[in-house]
Amino acid sequence: MARAGGITNAVNVGIAVQADWENREFISHISLNVRRLFEFLLQFEATTKSKLASLNEKLDTLERRLELLEVQVGTASANPSLFST
Amino acid sequence: MAAVPVEEAIAALSTFSLEDEQPEVQGPAVLVSTERGSTISPIEYSDVSAYRLSLTEDTKALNQLNTLIQDGKEMASVLYTYRSCVKALPQLPESMKHSQADLYLETYQVLDLEMSRLREIQRWQASAATKLAADMQRFSRPERRINGPTITHLWSMLKLLDVLVQLDHLKNAKASIPNDFSWYKRTFTQVSIQWPDTDSMREELDDLQVLIVFAVESLELDFALLFPERHMLLRVLPVLVVMATSSEKDSESLYKRNDPVIPAFPDLHLSPTAILKELSNYFQKHYLIVNHIGAIRAEHDDFAIRFASAMNQLLLLKSTDGADVEWCKEVKGNMYDMVVEGFQLLSRWTARVWEQCAWKFSRPCKDVGPSDSQELSSSYSDYEKVVRYNYSAEERKALVELVSYIKSVGSTMQRSDTLIADALWETIHAEVQDFVQNTLATMLRTTFKKKKDLSRILSDMRTLSADWMANTNKSDSEFQSLQHGGDESRGNFFYPRPVAPTAAQFLIYEVVSGGNLRKPGGLFGNSGSEIPVNDLKQLETFFYKLSFFLHILDYSATIATLTDLGFLWFREFYLESSRVIQFPIECSLPWMLVDHVLESQSAGLLESVLMPFDIYNDSAQHALVVLKQRFLYDEIEAEVDHCFDIFVTKLCEAIFTYYKSWSASELLDPSFLFALDNGEKYSIQPMRFTSLLKMTRVKLLGRTIDLRSLIAERMNKVFRENLEFLFDRFESQDLCAIVELEKLIDIIKHSHELLSKDLSIDPFSLMLNEMQENISLVSFSSRLASQIWSEMQSDFLPNFILCNTTQRFIRSSKVPLVPVQKPSVPHAKPNFYCGTQDLNSAHQSFARLHSGFFGISHMISLVKLLGSRSLPWLIRALLDHISNKIATLEPMITGLQETLPKSIGLLPFDGGVTGCMRLVKEQLSWGTKSELKAEVLRGIKEIGSVLYWMGLLDIVLRELDTTHFMQTAPWLGLLPGADGQMLSQNAGESPVVNLFKSATAAIVSNPRCPNPTSFYTMSKQAEAADLLYKANLNTGSVLEYALAFTSAALDKYCSKWSAAPKTGFIDITTSKDFYRIYSGLQIGYLEQSVQLQPNNHDMLGDSVAWGGCTIIYLLGQQLHFELFDFSYQILNVAEVEAASIMQTHKSPHSGQGWDSMLEAMKKVRRLNNHVFSMLKARCPLEDKMACAIKQSGAPLPRIKFENTVSAFETLPQKGT
Repeated sequence: MARAGGITNAVNVGIAVQADWENREFISHISLNVRRLFEFLLQFEATTKSKLASLNEKLDTLERRLELLEVQVGTASANPSLFST
Repeated sequence: MAAVPVEEAIAALSTFSLEDEQPEVQGPAVLVSTERGSTISPIEYSDVSAYRLSLTEDTKALNQLNTLIQDGKEMASVLYTYRSCVKALPQLPESMKHSQADLYLETYQVLDLEMSRLREIQRWQASAATKLAADMQRFSRPERRINGPTITHLWSMLKLLDVLVQLDHLKNAKASIPNDFSWYKRTFTQVSIQWPDTDSMREELDDLQVLIVFAVESLELDFALLFPERHMLLRVLPVLVVMATSSEKDSESLYKRNDPVIPAFPDLHLSPTAILKELSNYFQKHYLIVNHIGAIRAEHDDFAIRFASAMNQLLLLKSTDGADVEWCKEVKGNMYDMVVEGFQLLSRWTARVWEQCAWKFSRPCKDVGPSDSQELSSSYSDYEKVVRYNYSAEERKALVELVSYIKSVGSTMQRSDTLIADALWETIHAEVQDFVQNTLATMLRTTFKKKKDLSRILSDMRTLSADWMANTNKSDSEFQSLQHGGDESRGNFFYPRPVAPTAAQFLIYEVVSGGNLRKPGGLFGNSGSEIPVNDLKQLETFFYKLSFFLHILDYSATIATLTDLGFLWFREFYLESSRVIQFPIECSLPWMLVDHVLESQSAGLLESVLMPFDIYNDSAQHALVVLKQRFLYDEIEAEVDHCFDIFVTKLCEAIFTYYKSWSASELLDPSFLFALDNGEKYSIQPMRFTSLLKMTRVKLLGRTIDLRSLIAERMNKVFRENLEFLFDRFESQDLCAIVELEKLIDIIKHSHELLSKDLSIDPFSLMLNEMQENISLVSFSSRLASQIWSEMQSDFLPNFILCNTTQRFIRSSKVPLVPVQKPSVPHAKPNFYCGTQDLNSAHQSFARLHSGFFGISHMISLVKLLGSRSLPWLIRALLDHISNKIATLEPMITGLQETLPKSIGLLPFDGGVTGCMRLVKEQLSWGTKSELKAEVLRGIKEIGSVLYWMGLLDIVLRELDTTHFMQTAPWLGLLPGADGQMLSQNAGESPVVNLFKSATAAIVSNPRCPNPTSFYTMSKQAEAADLLYKANLNTGSVLEYALAFTSAALDKYCSKWSAAPKTGFIDITTSKDFYRIYSGLQIGYLEQSVQLQPNNHDMLGDSVAWGGCTIIYLLGQQLHFELFDFSYQILNVAEVEAASIMQTHKSPHSGQGWDSMLEAMKKVRRLNNHVFSMLKARCPLEDKMACAIKQSGAPLPRIKFENTVSAFETLPQKGT
């Protein structure tokens, strides 16, 4: 690996490289944690969705129940004479 | 505000509870990568210049090559997805020929747009060729040897070549481009675009050997971690060989490679050599997944366990503070090894899928469906031959299995991405630093000491990549203590830092560790022999490891590449050759897999049923991101929509069938099954739908679908449909089918119960009420009750006859007077009965036993089905029927009364039986009204049938009441007394009230009781329950009620049918009371039935006696009847006669001819006696009769009972 001038100031370059390592450590640290945050959000969304789905399921059941009761009350109140005595 | 460290903030997030009950049965569908993949686009090596390395020229070329490859790939996808637009071009009708020129212009403009892309491809091709050639030349110059092309550079060159080859192949394979192109030429013969072949570079490439050797070595060393690279090498090799014709020997040896089919594009394969066709058996074994699935399964299980354990170790490590450094390193290194292994596995598996796919494309199915006729097979399209009929059931199963392995391992690894990322970085960092700081240092001190040039370079490399200060992060004490021990022996000690080296650093390592070690002009090429083997080996090992680093740093991108199975969908090539717009979905491989899973009913595969949908996800992703074609995405989306609908339908069907069969097999008698030889036929294989039923978010093309709610919705519907069907079916059969109906409803109810454990669906009672049209609060009839009633009215009462001995009603063999109109039995799939065919036949043979008659078991079913809600309605309807019948009988009886002779005396004994019969016949000619006879008898029979039916009902209800009593009595504190009365255990409150009261008192006395009112309510409710249950205990008898009702109904006609004798004494000769009429009818009926011998006395059955005797009894005429009935009198005469015959020892010829008649009379007398005794027991009239005689001895007309019809108004009216 022939190079034109070589590294003229090895110490300076070494310091720069070292600084670069540290900077990159910081960057990867931040990016990893951002990714973790993101992962958390994804998972949060997923669990919220399934919780909402189960809630929705319960509401559906209740709604149908209510509909039934409404119909029953409707039939009953259509014949008030039955309840007069 | 105090700044919170990032790590702590993130860690705090994990305190959220994110439990999720959804099982992982789908692949990873969301991929997020914050980095640009370093293998795909390594930040353009922009940092190379920062290091002021001499690599600048190299990296510049690399970047150029990469751009070219990128462009080339895009063009390849344009070519691949190109669809002919000639077909869409309009043709002008004759009338518009004058505007032909305009059309040409328009056409040209449209086509020109398409063709401009082709021209672009041509331009690109030219520039790529020149660039490649220039590169080659540059590196083949002897003075450049020393830092000749790096490995990365070689890869890039190979990739570019590959793209060129692919483009060339595509151009040849896709007919649509030349088609359009020729049209283009015809409309505007302007520029003739020649496709410049790769030959144009040939003269410039005289140093191809470098590339060939590199490719062969890479292949042989299994250097490529990812399968696409392997495939690429395989594709490029033959071209290289052809181009480098100088090396004949090489080419021969290369053709012997055992990879005759290489996947190029999803449905397009390359077969570089046709020589090895005769070895197809061997290849089949190699290419078909079926032959490897066992090994793959073992690999998967083994890997899954070890990966999980490595993960656990890592988590454990993270949760412990101040862990031992060595242990730390070991755990992380282990994790790293597992990831590498996972990637290798995934790569191997996915490559297998690709290769099998290509193999299948190259070998279309020879005999398409042996069951199909010959002429049909010719009509199959190529794609069907290649895909639809080309995969056997076994192969589909294996493919599903493999797909789910790939996807599940992929998603496991994907999930752990952020958890293990820093561990991976640390390991890589440690490896690199270990090499740079220790290995290289040692080498510098020993091997390269004398070579000044080399050692300078190497020490520069060290300067550029070493992380000397990595150890300063740690606390000093720890650092020092460790350094003391390890410094001397291990060289430089450093702490791993979770940071990856940069791209340029990688390049450096590559060069240093022997990137061009293998070729003669490499870094160490000049001094190859002088380097010790040991050092060489170390260098080699590091180089080998190095090739993995980049892929591992690109963690999620690598996983995405390795688990991408989207190619299984693409079929552009076959679409074009078959000249169709799209294939039916039966030909679509993903759908074939889904379908196979559903059809196979295999419990093991079932949970993988969603995996093939990931293929759609992948292919949609591929269409959008790589191919960048909207229309492809639209097609995929349309197919997925369609498929998913069918899938849900089929899945629901399967679930429903499974649960139905499960419940049906559970409801079969187990002891009966045990005794059976083929009992296992009726047991069903357990299937696990539970995990699928938990899927609340299926990821499909970026949408989330709540599969669970879809299934629940459909289940609600199908249960209702099934109930509807059962009622329809019952309506098309007669009343005897009620046992079958009850059985089937039981099965569906039980299956509902089983399914409700896993899925929330509407309560069964609600569905049943809905289907019975029984929702309304004020209506008491239901669909079933009205059906039973109308059935009884129109069929059962007229056409069924009673057999008193067996307590059954059977259908009369007589042709019914009124033919009964019934809808035809509706047809339904087996799962609307009991699930499978076997279970259906088992249950049907049981139901058949009950289909011929109506007896106790039918009554039990009827009571169960109608329940206490609709039963009173039915009873009321039947009682009304009795009173109506009596009303219609009345004028007829009056008519018959009129035709009776003025006086009928007692039968004289002197004429014997024959004389009596003659006398009776003379007196009972009925004159003109004889046709009324049969009518009246039928009426009486119906009344008798209803009453007997009530008797059956009574028995059943009593049974229920008893059960009910047994259950409630202990709570109510009741004891059955000796005379059937209930005795209260103690004078106070019943046990249930006591229990709740004392419980409430105890709870309320506790001062910490938060809400005492609810407990008070509870004890109040216990009192209410006590009252309700007590009131329900003494339910009356239905039969007694019916008899009282009948009696009340008869009261109206009492004066006519039971005239008070004017003399005040029993009227013998002139009486026209009901009993006399019935007596006459009875003897006529007996005569008739005897004449219709043999044993044809089932004309009306035994219910006539029930009807007649009941009326007689209720009118208070039982004694009259028993005294004056004609047949009884004749029996008396016959007895006397027989006695006299015995005495005189005459030959018994005088009674001859009347034997059967007398027998019938005896029988009817026995029956009548039975009825009367039953009536006396159930409806005692004695005391009332007793007061019917005055103290003076003068008889009174029968006193009026208090019960009238109006007293029965409490029952619900029919019709409300």
